[in-house]
Amino acid sequence: MASYAVIDSIKLSKKKFFRAPQWELKLAIRILISFVVLYFLAAFLFLGVGIYFIAQKSAPEQNPVFLINQFLIYYFGIDLLIRYFVQNLPITNIKPLLIQPISKNKIVQGVMLRSLGSFFNWIPLVILLPFCIVYTLNETTTYTLWIWLLGVLFFAGINNFLVFFINKSRVVAVGLFLLLLLGSVFQNVLGVPLLSFFEKGYDFLFLNPEAVAAPFLLFILTIGVQYVFLKKQLYLDKGFSGKKERIVGSGLTVFDRVGSLGVFIKNDIRLILRNVRARQVVFMGFLFLFYGIIFFTQEVYMESYVMLIFAGIFTTGGFMLTFGQLVPAWDSEYFSFLMCQNIPYRNYLKSKLYLMMFSVVLSLILSLPYLYFGIKIMTIILATAIFNFGMGSFITLYSGAFNATPVKLNVKAKAFENTQNFSFSQLLFTLPKIVLPVLVFYVPFQFFGFTAGIIGLCLTGLLGLLFNGFLLSRIEKTYQKRKHQTLSSFQKT
Amino acid sequence: MITVTNLSKTYGGTLVLELPELSIPKGQRFGLVGNNGAGKTTFFSLLLDLIESSSGRIAINDIDVQSSEDWKPFTAAFIDESYLIGYLTVEEYYYFLGSLRGLSTKEIDEWVLGFESFFNGEILGKKKYLRDLSKGNQKKAGIVGSLIGSPDLVILDEPFANLDPSSQIGLKKLIEDIAKKSTITFLISSHDLTHVTEVCDRIVLLEKGKILKDIKTTPSTLKELESYFSFKE
Repeated sequence: MASYAVIDSIKLSKKKFFRAPQWELKLAIRILISFVVLYFLAAFLFLGVGIYFIAQKSAPEQNPVFLINQFLIYYFGIDLLIRYFVQNLPITNIKPLLIQPISKNKIVQGVMLRSLGSFFNWIPLVILLPFCIVYTLNETTTYTLWIWLLGVLFFAGINNFLVFFINKSRVVAVGLFLLLLLGSVFQNVLGVPLLSFFEKGYDFLFLNPEAVAAPFLLFILTIGVQYVFLKKQLYLDKGFSGKKERIVGSGLTVFDRVGSLGVFIKNDIRLILRNVRARQVVFMGFLFLFYGIIFFTQEVYMESYVMLIFAGIFTTGGFMLTFGQLVPAWDSEYFSFLMCQNIPYRNYLKSKLYLMMFSVVLSLILSLPYLYFGIKIMTIILATAIFNFGMGSFITLYSGAFNATPVKLNVKAKAFENTQNFSFSQLLFTLPKIVLPVLVFYVPFQFFGFTAGIIGLCLTGLLGLLFNGFLLSRIEKTYQKRKHQTLSSFQKT
Repeated sequence: MITVTNLSKTYGGTLVLELPELSIPKGQRFGLVGNNGAGKTTFFSLLLDLIESSSGRIAINDIDVQSSEDWKPFTAAFIDESYLIGYLTVEEYYYFLGSLRGLSTKEIDEWVLGFESFFNGEILGKKKYLRDLSKGNQKKAGIVGSLIGSPDLVILDEPFANLDPSSQIGLKKLIEDIAKKSTITFLISSHDLTHVTEVCDRIVLLEKGKILKDIKTTPSTLKELESYFSFKE
């Protein structure tokens, strides 16, 4: 019974990786992504080192730890939200182990241990460890700081296991996030300091190190409950059976009026409503709406138009870019079926195009609060939206023809493991999607000023709309020409 | 209905299918048998223009499948569950197929009633996504889907596999009934020799991509096939 251990579980993962189709490419991508992760780690490290000095500068009379404590509850809230969308218990991999001579305790231990390796558990450590070191070097410190760090790490661990319960019930998830949202509204808008309660708790932890017992016990408790819960899930009709799904989006008869195009629009809406992966992409697109905040709040970017155009493109085109780059991969699971049906290819493509265009309009409406940052920002957002609507959508659709890695519709993509749809041709296509609008703005801007740049963006968008028939025909031809290539790569799952 | 001339398919230097000549007349129930790797699915994929041939051509009703798409309106196929759209319900899937073949939702609703006994009350109105149906029920849903809009040519890959005994018998009856009433051409591949000899009026046996036998089904066909497939002492 004893021989199965964590090491075996790692060995299995290794084989899975090296024996997957196109693993060489995947390895290359992994390496590339490791650099991205390293970059983030470095950024977090700098942040960690920097916090101390920033805090010293902005609030010299306050202990920097208390400043951090103000943000912790928001951090953990957002952490939980992101985990909810991307973190999955690696339970399906262990199905073949069930009938092997391995004790269930060992299996559960393996699963739980592996979940601790998640990127999200490392973020607080990577940020706060350098902070604590800097703090120790600069202040007469006591061990309380390190106990506080330990406490914060326990909270991250609690989140790690908590998310699996939340995943089981949508009601709990929505409830929790509404609570957090309400809390922050009360705190920041209405002035009722509900969330300060948490802040006081973290402060208390720093001042009274023996209080670390509380997060510790809570952590142990979640581990225990998770352990018992997981062990109960090791049956085919429990953890391995899919959730019973309610049928959503069965109406949609509005689209029947649009004839054969409506059929495809209906399918695409259902695709988004009914598949985990698609919903994830919608959520990503939604997050892109906040991309502008990073740039528009910074004085330094206010005169750097290139950055502002970047921000505008992503704010209004988040969904378009993330969803559109996976056309036709969204239909990869049944692509050969589609290809031997009598489908009007043009309508198939049009439906995706309209969906992207609609998302740009929606993003534009949702971006209206950016008016707060002034007319200039709003003008940029409007112009980039017009560009995305008229030209970006076509470029995205065209680039999709070269993306031949299949999408598993009802499987979550993990953070930093979302490599299945990454390809170098896609990387290449980000150029026209992102660099083109900057260029279209920048050249007239250099010669004739801001207004000319904005007109350049708008005109390019209108140009795309004017030649939409021609562009669509070109795209259609490209898709048709690549049919067999696409088919054969979609079959390699 | 189907004319094959000098067709071949090679993968990295190995020949997987070589059919110098094959012609399937309209209304025939054409059975394809052979061990794994004999080239059955390759043939179907070539026929549906899902892979490109290395040489030669296939024509359905004199339409070269590689240069025109005009064969699609009267050709239907169910090869495996990837021919279903997993996130649709059976009804939605049929409406989708119907819309591609010029049938309204109402017409589909009426048409599908004719399959109630074959479905055995397990498929229609279940409020389930196709991906959540059992393998057998997925297959049944897909086979019936391929009959929507009365195509002239229906291609079924291993239609009997995964079906429970009642459904296997039901499927045989279904195919025979349709064959009696119409001139639909069926292409059926199967590992089940009994079923395929009962349902088809012509059997072609493939071995390593080549036609080994091409027989008109008679009462002795099953024996003949069984002796071919038995291990030689």
